Amino acid sequence: MLLDAEPALLPSRILMAFTLGSHILLVPLGVALPTFTLIMEGIGIFRKDATAIKIARRWSVVMAVQFAVGAVTGTILSFEFGILWPKMLGRYGAAFGLGFSIEGLGFFLEAIFISIYLYGWRRLPPRLHFLAGLALPPAGLLGAFGVLAANSWMNTPGGVTIEPNGALDIDVWAALFTRALTYEFWHFTVAIYLTAGFVVASIYAVAWLRGRRDHYQRLGFAVPFTVAAALAPVEVLVGDLSARALTTDQPAKFAAMEVTWRTQAYNPEVIGGLMDPSGNVHLGIPVPWLDSLLVGYSPTTVIRGLSSFAADARPSTVEANLTHLAFDLMVGLGTAAALLTVWYFWTLIRRHRLPDSRWFYRMAALAGVGAYISVEAGWVTTEVGRQPWIVYGAMRVSDAVTNAPATFVWTLLATLVVVYAVIAAFFVTLLLRLAARWRREDLATAGGVEAPEEGVPYGPPR
Amino acid sequence: MSLSIPNLAAGTLLLAVTAYSVAGGVDFGAGIWDLIAGAGERGRRARELIDHAMAPVWEVNNVWLAFAIVVCWTAFPPLFQAAFLNLYPLFTLALIGLILRGAFFAFRHIAENPREHRAADLVFGISSVLTPFFFAACLGAIASGRVTTAGPPPSVWEVCISPMSISFGLVSVAATAWSGAMFLVGDARRAAPDLVDYFRGRALWATGILIAVGTVALAAILFERPQLLAAMFTTPALAFVLAVMVLTPAAAILIWRGIFRWYRLLTVAGVGSLVVAWGFAQAPYLLPGRLTIDQAASSQPALILVLAVAAAVVLVVGPAFGLLVYLDQRTALESPES
Repeated sequence: MLLDAEPALLPSRILMAFTLGSHILLVPLGVALPTFTLIMEGIGIFRKDATAIKIARRWSVVMAVQFAVGAVTGTILSFEFGILWPKMLGRYGAAFGLGFSIEGLGFFLEAIFISIYLYGWRRLPPRLHFLAGLALPPAGLLGAFGVLAANSWMNTPGGVTIEPNGALDIDVWAALFTRALTYEFWHFTVAIYLTAGFVVASIYAVAWLRGRRDHYQRLGFAVPFTVAAALAPVEVLVGDLSARALTTDQPAKFAAMEVTWRTQAYNPEVIGGLMDPSGNVHLGIPVPWLDSLLVGYSPTTVIRGLSSFAADARPSTVEANLTHLAFDLMVGLGTAAALLTVWYFWTLIRRHRLPDSRWFYRMAALAGVGAYISVEAGWVTTEVGRQPWIVYGAMRVSDAVTNAPATFVWTLLATLVVVYAVIAAFFVTLLLRLAARWRREDLATAGGVEAPEEGVPYGPPR
Repeated sequence: MSLSIPNLAAGTLLLAVTAYSVAGGVDFGAGIWDLIAGAGERGRRARELIDHAMAPVWEVNNVWLAFAIVVCWTAFPPLFQAAFLNLYPLFTLALIGLILRGAFFAFRHIAENPREHRAADLVFGISSVLTPFFFAACLGAIASGRVTTAGPPPSVWEVCISPMSISFGLVSVAATAWSGAMFLVGDARRAAPDLVDYFRGRALWATGILIAVGTVALAAILFERPQLLAAMFTTPALAFVLAVMVLTPAAAILIWRGIFRWYRLLTVAGVGSLVVAWGFAQAPYLLPGRLTIDQAASSQPALILVLAVAAAVVLVVGPAFGLLVYLDQRTALESPES
């Protein structure tokens, strides 16, 4: 019924989901790869390890190319807020923009220091180069903080009061640090490092499976995997805290995540399954009492159901199912990752070496893909679970959408799908060519080898 | 105008737009010369120099744009809403140009055969013309007074397509080509001395075209919104209008006489004055005749945060960016053998 009222609503939602869902894939490496690169460069400088320097140098190239793509897709997003949701920005731009202003500062610093870092490999003294790089992790975190503050504000809006004349009064501190930020920030920041670690390590896990067993492969695997492995159990805890906080902050979202229709105690945790419009869940595996136990540590804990919200103030059946399945996927993959890291640390501590089981490296190779999937799943959980609100409890998505004709938005969507496919193809082609070039260089004898960052788009000229 | 907090925030927005026009403009201009460099050996050499000159600072320029957008919606939400409700076709075209430009600039580094390379050059070049055109057309449409705050217009096209939006777009293309050529003269002097005269000639041609197009734009303003033209010829905007009229030929004369000093500074000041002149002429209105700075401004604390971030950009990012440009211009970031 909303679709009739706002013809551009459906394509606008798809477009926003498509572009955000693409951009978020660039975030983990964008924010966390500089840290891994610096750890590697540090190892190289302080242990005089030329292989570590070589790895750091190659990672810095991937970092820069990624950043260039992310800068483009991120700029698109800032325009889409205006093109697709002008009324949300017109009403709440002052509060929503606070975090983004801070993100702008982080973005500036990253852009400049990535350039200096990439271009400085040849000409800056090693320690100075390392020091210049140290600006990158805080700049990336500042950016992540800004975006998460804005997203948290959409989920638990605070710090704004509407004055009698309709103007919006802002309390900057309260609007930046809303309730959701506490858990969103830690949950996503840990996810970023975790994902980047698994993704980078997965490349070297594949190298191991292909028979490469040298210092280069071991270093490239162990550094990111160890960081990711240390964080995986932390993420399980932080995720649990986040989910529990939703029972008070966004109970409708929590009900959708658990496909809970009726408010009740002894609520089961349903794994998988689909809910029909009258609230019955099919095909799922219910674990009796578990949801109540997890939320309140007691089976008598009452969980609020979706039916307790007005139909226009809760996710639709389709949205609830999407939220639920995405949530289960994220939790499942996160748990699998935590188990994999138990295996890793067990071997490391008991045998004082890296695992040498093919199955371990197969799993480690999959962990990279799995981490990306769980980032997407987590994002779907929080965004779809917030529906129908763009600003939780204050403004509906349908009230924020543009007046542009639906055909315009559909056309833009089609154009951007094509353009993104082209960009993705370029990006992947470039990474594959770089990988092939580096492999050739590793096989060739030393001397006469190009510096990794040469001849790369947005990299120094040859 | 008083130094009230809303005015300072508006000044921040204007400075961000100016910074993007100056820094991004040089980049877009290089892309325009890339497009018309021709296919032969000389064209290839010119393209190589353009690549060489653009690569290090490309990403940083885009940041100014994102920053301007965020400052706009945070400090002046009603302006942002009205601009996008009325001008979404122009913003969309500019945006698509921007994406294609970035993607195909990267692609020409990985293109392996000449046909791919030619296609990448073409898309990159054309989008380098379209992007500054449509961005400036948005400003022209705003300056023309056609953008309203009361919901969507009956016909978006009547708002988007007007003598002023088109002429602002053309001035922007001419100004970016001009500043691009000016900076390429400097880049050629460092990296490809045989191309100095090539870009000098183009810079001089571009000066003539910019002056001609600028005159046409003044006529368009006179035709469509004479109040704005009157404001441009009263203080404080007048100072910047005069600056444009003096600095543009001055920079050209330096280049013409082969005096390779100050010309880049004059170029930056010329393009910057052009944007600032428009801003001051339109003040105190964000949307001429409809929405003033004070009416559109967010509540004080939000504006103060924006100003604090802007101050941090100046204090922290300024020196860092200066370092990057210094290293870039001094070729300290490249190997001596390249």
